[in-house]
Amino acid sequence: MRASATETFPRAFTILVTATAVLAPLSLIFYQSLLNAPFFDAQKAAGLDAYRFIFADSDFWTAFRNSFVIAALMTAIAVPLGGLLAFVMERTDLAGRRWIEPLLLVPSFVSPMVLSFGYVVAAGPVGFYTVWARELFGGAPWGIYSILGMAVIAGLTHVPNVYVYASAALKNLGSDVEEAARVSGASPFRVAASVSLPLIMPSLLFSAVLVFFLGFELFGLPLVLGDPEGILVLSTYLYKLTNKLGTPSYHLMAAVAVCIVAVTFPLVLLQRHLLKNSRKYASIRGKAGRLKELPLGPWKWLALGIIGLWIFVAVLVPLSGIALRAFVTNWGEGVRLADVLTLEHFRDIAEEPTMMRGIWNTILVGVVGGLLTVACYTAIGFATHRRNDGWSRFVDYLVLVPRAVPGLLIGLAFLWVFLFFPPLTPLRSTLFSVWLAYSVVWLAYGMRLISSSLLQVSPELEEAARSVGAKRGRVSRDVTLPLIRYGLLGSWLLVFMIFEREYSTAVYLLAPGTEVIGAQLVSLWQGGAIDLVAALSLINVILVGIGLGIALRFGVRLRD
Amino acid sequence: MAVLTVDNLHLRYGDNPILKGVSMDLASGEVVSLLGPSGSGKTTLLRAVAGLESPHEGRIQIKDRTVFDSAKKIELPAEDRHLGLVFQSYALWPHKSVKDNVAYGLKLRNVKAAESDERVKSVLDQLGLGALGSRFPHQLSGGQQQRVAIARALVYNPPVILLDEPLSNLDAKLREEARAFLRELIVRLGLSALVVTHDQAEAMAMSDRILLLNNGVIEQQGTPQEMYGSPRTLFTAEFMGSNNRVPGRVAQTRGGEARLQGDGWSLWGKLCDGARSGGDAQAVIRLEQVRVVDNGEGNRVKLPLSTSMYLGDKWEHVFRRDAMALRAYTHDALAPGEYWLDFPRERLWIF
Repeated sequence: MRASATETFPRAFTILVTATAVLAPLSLIFYQSLLNAPFFDAQKAAGLDAYRFIFADSDFWTAFRNSFVIAALMTAIAVPLGGLLAFVMERTDLAGRRWIEPLLLVPSFVSPMVLSFGYVVAAGPVGFYTVWARELFGGAPWGIYSILGMAVIAGLTHVPNVYVYASAALKNLGSDVEEAARVSGASPFRVAASVSLPLIMPSLLFSAVLVFFLGFELFGLPLVLGDPEGILVLSTYLYKLTNKLGTPSYHLMAAVAVCIVAVTFPLVLLQRHLLKNSRKYASIRGKAGRLKELPLGPWKWLALGIIGLWIFVAVLVPLSGIALRAFVTNWGEGVRLADVLTLEHFRDIAEEPTMMRGIWNTILVGVVGGLLTVACYTAIGFATHRRNDGWSRFVDYLVLVPRAVPGLLIGLAFLWVFLFFPPLTPLRSTLFSVWLAYSVVWLAYGMRLISSSLLQVSPELEEAARSVGAKRGRVSRDVTLPLIRYGLLGSWLLVFMIFEREYSTAVYLLAPGTEVIGAQLVSLWQGGAIDLVAALSLINVILVGIGLGIALRFGVRLRD
Repeated sequence: MAVLTVDNLHLRYGDNPILKGVSMDLASGEVVSLLGPSGSGKTTLLRAVAGLESPHEGRIQIKDRTVFDSAKKIELPAEDRHLGLVFQSYALWPHKSVKDNVAYGLKLRNVKAAESDERVKSVLDQLGLGALGSRFPHQLSGGQQQRVAIARALVYNPPVILLDEPLSNLDAKLREEARAFLRELIVRLGLSALVVTHDQAEAMAMSDRILLLNNGVIEQQGTPQEMYGSPRTLFTAEFMGSNNRVPGRVAQTRGGEARLQGDGWSLWGKLCDGARSGGDAQAVIRLEQVRVVDNGEGNRVKLPLSTSMYLGDKWEHVFRRDAMALRAYTHDALAPGEYWLDFPRERLWIF
């Protein structure tokens, strides 16, 4: 159907801006990786020196292997556990599921930097729980500063990523297949292992790929937990390159970035392919039968035990660690809690203008920035809504691209963009730079929120408006937009929470004026200011908690 | 004068042809039904007329305006075709009140508020919705929602109103009432309407003319009486009513008639398309045309009664010998035994 110029222009503009925002920074990374010096250096020349250097560096290969091992191990932990939790929550009659569900999602809303720090102060060599365990049992048989320790923690904290997809798939499964297994004599967990989970294999596979490439992109966790033992993964190797060489080695960083993306991008494409297939799988099975909960009987104690243990380890331990650490002057063997309680750290923060600005900026980026971001995502959503042409497919792939690029790299790339294009340079030290980078990093996530709202609008409601004489723009304004307004409000809230949580994207953009809590945590941690890290982490958790509280109060779906 | 003309329309989804050259017209003040099984292309044809599907060949003209012409590369978008469309799901906008739903088309046409209010009120009154203007769609019953959808499509006086399965969302009881209401309304307001339906009884009751679609082409078109009483093809005969079908061999033809012969029986009927002397053919007769009689004089077959079903206003019987099974209605119950069944020769079609 031919469209008039007034209809085409906004769409073309939206697609052009999106494509520029996504592709410009990535092209710059790629371009930089092919130079033998930083791009602003007058002596620069094209060449593969950067790749030659990192491929010759044994640390690079160690980091690569560590990334791979951690990603594989955490996938092996998160997928079965997430599937099992989803089965218990979705298919059985376990009491109190309504209360447990938000807790299951908590780790996905708390900054990994904060969680990792929480593990250090709670379960590190002199952490609260370690000390208590030694006092009670005479020993604490865990070491979190190791590859295995990191993989276990990463696995446990990525359970929500699997849970979300597995439970969505289980919802669409008729309960007759489970009842048949039950009647044949299978116990509830046998039913899960031999019927329910195999039937949602496409979703589990999909989330396994997801967790694996998230493992490849880990930054906060290895930065905090790998540091004491000098264990590097790809992202921390990249982050430490500057320290290692003493000079800004942009070309080397770019080469490492290209290597990371070379691994994650195929995985993102594979994931997209799997998602399409799993949808096919679901539709072949046709209408879901009626949903009848599987009675657990005495097995409920085992189910409660597994869930309780997971919540304790993945949620309570790190968060309680932070909460305690924020209110004590120091902690160690033989210290009595009552003697060391203090509010001093919060006073320090209140007296430090950069800290207060960081908190204020974080709120601003979440609330105002989040609103603007949702507006932009909505514009992109409308550019592809109900249009099945080449441009829509292009945008589909375009929004996936940032998914494959860790936030740390996108932040770095935007820093370069702001330096590379002089007209943009003044914006570099404003919050705009952070906002833009955040919006690009979370593009895929945000577009999923928007398009799931848009998909709920029946096409006939829009066709009805066209048939009575409304142009496309009017249809969007008078029918579609009013119908998705609650969905958009919910998206705003979710975007607020992930913007509060975000840390790695702002690391390279950190400058006077662009401070946000996440990036400040990384920089303070590097400087060893544990007290301030603890207090800021707690503030960060509280900000996310406020968002979570509002979401629960108004029944916003926490997952798409 | 034709208010709608469709000429040799072709449409496909990907490689899958949906419409394979459909031509039709709709005269002013006429009600035409598009009838057919699912997948026959009837809804696609309606949506193509509305501008919601893009055909790749053909021409569509509304009054004296060409809205689609593949040869001249004309394709008006849905909003410029100025038609009224009533969706199967009604598609009322849940965030607008009844009044606002109906008034939207007028607002888009920049009708002044005072005039718009008056026209909305008048159309709501005509549809018996006068008191419900400030309600929202979810506060209405299914039947009321349907009328709002009709009001919304009528309020700006489109030359043609298109209705997609207008009755299928109503429950059985309401459906017959709504059918009568709709027919009355269309006739009273002198509307030209194109109605999609998969129910042949609905099509016959509501329309002046029926277009039967089969697999993307028009199988047959005509008045309801022609479609029911003199089908030209086996498909039409089967689709329009409940039939007995008996396979046999054409033993003899004479004038427009043929004699179909089977194992121990032989019947005369009207020779239709496809049947040839000496070839295999089928005898088709509407259930209500078969009469149970007490002697063998004429076009008759004797069969034992197999079972009887009570339907309330009549009995339906199954007569069977070996593979030959026939059904017939009677007013009263029948005792077990053998009966003569009479087939009026002008009502028996041999395809």
